[in-house]
Amino acid sequence: MSEIDAFDPYVWLAILAITLATFITRSSPLLLGERLRIPPLAEAALRFAPACALAAIIAPDLLLTNGELNLSLNNARLISGCIASAIFIYFRSISGTILGGMLIYWLLTFGPSLI
Amino acid sequence: MSESSRRDAVLRGARELLPLWPGIFAWGLVTGVAMVKSGLSTPEALGLSLLAYAGSAQLAALPLITTLAPLWLVLLTAIIVNLRFVVYSTAIRTHFATLSSRSRLWLGYIVGDIMFVRFTSLLEREPEYPHKIAYFAGGALANWLVWQVSSIVGIFAAKLIPQSLGLELAGTLALVALVVPLCRYLPTLGGALVAAAVAILTHELPMRLGLLCAVIVGMVVALGLERWNSSRGARA
Repeated sequence: MSEIDAFDPYVWLAILAITLATFITRSSPLLLGERLRIPPLAEAALRFAPACALAAIIAPDLLLTNGELNLSLNNARLISGCIASAIFIYFRSISGTILGGMLIYWLLTFGPSLI
Repeated sequence: MSESSRRDAVLRGARELLPLWPGIFAWGLVTGVAMVKSGLSTPEALGLSLLAYAGSAQLAALPLITTLAPLWLVLLTAIIVNLRFVVYSTAIRTHFATLSSRSRLWLGYIVGDIMFVRFTSLLEREPEYPHKIAYFAGGALANWLVWQVSSIVGIFAAKLIPQSLGLELAGTLALVALVVPLCRYLPTLGGALVAAAVAILTHELPMRLGLLCAVIVGMVVALGLERWNSSRGARA
């Protein structure tokens, strides 16, 4: 559609706004550096940010189906995630974890229709 | 500080990021497809990916852009979706303190979920590693490159990639591989489990605010568990 391909200043301003958000959130703490003072207790809590952030991103992806908690065996993403964790614990291979988990997911999703 | 050892550190950062590439690639691909499917033109989708470099903020902003929402709302939404990066950058800020403002601006721009975790584990394993910034830059640039290539492939191949493949799961599995080794330390495991539970309970909050709540509650619980554990150890 030529209409969509035309230069639209609004869209480009929106793109610049999102770019600005990237700089504000990621760069400003580095730019402030040691001038950004936070209580020692909060500083100590930040050590746990990596694991907490990862868990908080992963959990909804694996546990929710259409916005509902789904702990059943029908939840292919949850089962793939569990098997992927097991693969990581036994083999310590990151790419093996990702590829193995995807293979399990595809088997569970497309396998039944192939039989 | 010799040039060659710094170059080795850049390469090491990139090399240690590389096993994660299937996850980053799948994620970028899905984001590229989503941008085109929501109605952005090819140049706009390329611009959004190459300039903003913020997967979840890009996805969150798409419905706002297509409904012509005011620009301040687009900016505010992107900032809120990105708030976890404030936590990340705050956590690592002291390691960048000696660099010029311009370096800090650009190194901040390429902080992502994966490189943040990689960088903090390096600091934990080798606190005295002399070329940590070079390591960070190498890994973060490799992440940027894989992400951009996959996003561009997604933008041009949007019609060829069926949604039923569930490719976004590969991104989640990459994070699973990152979080599992962190959870060997029990307070971390406790905090991560609580963060996961809070994220589920708050997933209906707009603008990924639930994610931010989950990270904060999880960190507080982990710290509490650590303090409780050490005070118990001191009494025994």
